[in-house]
Amino acid sequence: MDLIKGYNPRRSRLLIQLKNENLYHLPVVCNQCENAYCMNACPVKAIQRNDDGIVCIDPDECIGCGLCVQYCPIGMAALDPDTQKAVKCELCQGNPLCVEACPAGALELIYKGEINA
Amino acid sequence: MPDTYTNKLLVIDLSRKSFETIPVSDLFKTDFIGGKGFGAKLLSDMVPPGTDPLGKDNPLMFMTGPLTGTMAPAMRGCVVTKSPLTGIFLDSYFGGSFSPEIKYAGFDGIIIKGQAKNPVYIWINDDHVEIRDARHLWGTDILESNRLIKNELRDETIKIAGIGQAGENQVLFALIGCEYNRQAGRGGAGAVMGSKNLKAIAIKGSKPVAVHDPKRFQAACAKAFKELEESPDVEAFRVAGTAASVDYANETGLLPHKNYQSGTFSKASQLSDIGQSRHIWLGSSACMGCPIRCSKIGAVRTGKYKGIVTDIVEYESAALMGANLDISDIRAVAHLVKLCDLYGMDSMSTGNLIGFAMEACEKGLIKAPKGIELTFGNVIAAEHMIHAIAGQKGKLGKLLSKGVKQAARKIGGTAVKLAVHTKGLESPAWGPRGVSGMGLAYMTTDRGGCHQRGFPVSYELAGEWEGKPLDPLSSEGKAQMVIALQNYSAGRDTLVNCDFGSYGISAETYAELLSAATGKKADPDLIIKTGERIWNLVRCFNLAQGLDAKKDILPHRFVKECLPDGPSKGHRISEKDMDYMRQEYYQSRGWDKNGVPLDTTLNRLGIGYAGPHQ
Repeated sequence: MDLIKGYNPRRSRLLIQLKNENLYHLPVVCNQCENAYCMNACPVKAIQRNDDGIVCIDPDECIGCGLCVQYCPIGMAALDPDTQKAVKCELCQGNPLCVEACPAGALELIYKGEINA
Repeated sequence: MPDTYTNKLLVIDLSRKSFETIPVSDLFKTDFIGGKGFGAKLLSDMVPPGTDPLGKDNPLMFMTGPLTGTMAPAMRGCVVTKSPLTGIFLDSYFGGSFSPEIKYAGFDGIIIKGQAKNPVYIWINDDHVEIRDARHLWGTDILESNRLIKNELRDETIKIAGIGQAGENQVLFALIGCEYNRQAGRGGAGAVMGSKNLKAIAIKGSKPVAVHDPKRFQAACAKAFKELEESPDVEAFRVAGTAASVDYANETGLLPHKNYQSGTFSKASQLSDIGQSRHIWLGSSACMGCPIRCSKIGAVRTGKYKGIVTDIVEYESAALMGANLDISDIRAVAHLVKLCDLYGMDSMSTGNLIGFAMEACEKGLIKAPKGIELTFGNVIAAEHMIHAIAGQKGKLGKLLSKGVKQAARKIGGTAVKLAVHTKGLESPAWGPRGVSGMGLAYMTTDRGGCHQRGFPVSYELAGEWEGKPLDPLSSEGKAQMVIALQNYSAGRDTLVNCDFGSYGISAETYAELLSAATGKKADPDLIIKTGERIWNLVRCFNLAQGLDAKKDILPHRFVKECLPDGPSKGHRISEKDMDYMRQEYYQSRGWDKNGVPLDTTLNRLGIGYAGPHQ
């Protein structure tokens, strides 16, 4: 909302995949992959993993070539139509808005090693 | 400052193969807000008396509201056109994800004029508008054409509204399927689309819908979400959609059984959430941005019809395709309703019509198709009739495809007494004989016999309206309640909201959402007064199209035949009851004895130009 000054789910950093007449609707979120293809594919090293393990894009370094978009296996990188730079889920600095917005409690932010159950 | 309007309407002329955008003026927004209001005003301006609903001059309009496509919960879109089934105003609402996409592409609404020579579909990708050949799609059902278009355009995320074979064949109660499992269902908008040779509209929009005051809007949304969360009615929708209403209607004697001959069905619970949760449901699904998730999606897993994916069989379909036909196997009912969805025809009207045909056949008024036993309880006969109606096959299929009013007139004689409709729109699944206010709502609803422009049943059975006791069987004091509900409903339909949302979200919160979204002052009174303005404008439109007070009536069955069972056994809504309620209604509305709005009323509402003297 704040970033694009409005609403459009196509601009969100996650997607809901609909299958079989909507019998299945699966949320797809960025895995922050250990072997991140987006990071591997970036020709200018604009994509780096930060100290929390989150794969982040530096907009100043990004040249908007779209290779990360092409090689992410689950469609989680996109080119921002306004800036023409690559964007992906960076977990909103630790406070994901999607988690806050979900009325069904289907989304939760859990760090690696936190699942003890 | 931005607001949630895109301030543009897309006008596509299929005859000329051209399109243009027209601006949305401030005055238009102030007077009519959006959705139903926009549609009603445009239809009044564009459709003179005598316009053929299935001709090139009848526009087909897809309208959004100022809250469509935002984070405001439980919002929808609407289709507005002149109905081929009733010959009067038609607005039909749909959830899902198609209407937000209209806004994301940059439009407050789409107006389709003219007629294509050959089958076409429309592809809108933001500012790119293209009329594409659809000859290869003609003859496919709604889901198949949806798949084919997505393959053709190589994009799974496109949102599509389209017609099936029933719309192509101009079955007068054909619908428009809006993915997934959502329909602009009533009144034959699908036939209008078919008459234009328009198979589908596919949209993809990348533009954000901006709000005027983001902080205030987010706070209003949070309030709306909280109100939904705290409402027991919404909780009931969340758990079981409208399926639980089957048992409720049965206990209160309002459930149509055997073409509304009686009001109870001993096997009701097999059709309700009790039967559906056992045999069909697997999970919940929601329209875009809605926390209610009233849809219970699932599949028929066992028995003769196993393998079909089906959404919840919502109350109206369960009652009219189930109880009304004396069919209690919910898996069979799901199958019949799914067939209607695929062909693209209103399962309410279809259930009503098959019930009519079964009764007419049992009474010897019509002949069953060869080899078919057209009797109550026969699933095979019901299925046969659905195929026949959608494909306009055989004498009876052709006859029924014109709707129950025309079919009964053609058959003639006592058949007219078995036709359950008001103004040609087949009655919904709430027999009104035990709730006279619902009867008055059917008599006066702008699009014909409809339960969705005010639903007095809940107040009548609770026995209270605005703190005063209310007798469900009495004719007195119903008019004010029905008018208040209709005005508020028409006001909310400008936003465009979902009726279920209004069970939780308060009028104050709707007004606050509207105000924060648009930057204009709004309060509940504004929504109600706008609703009243629209209601009167539509009344003038309908009168000009040939409606008169003699058509503000209930069907023979509810007037002449006493309810044989249930708590309101022995009751009917007599001619005298109807006269009383109608006059009380006209008077309270500021209409004359013939149901014509008075000049003073129209002037008070700022639509003096709409009067019949013009």
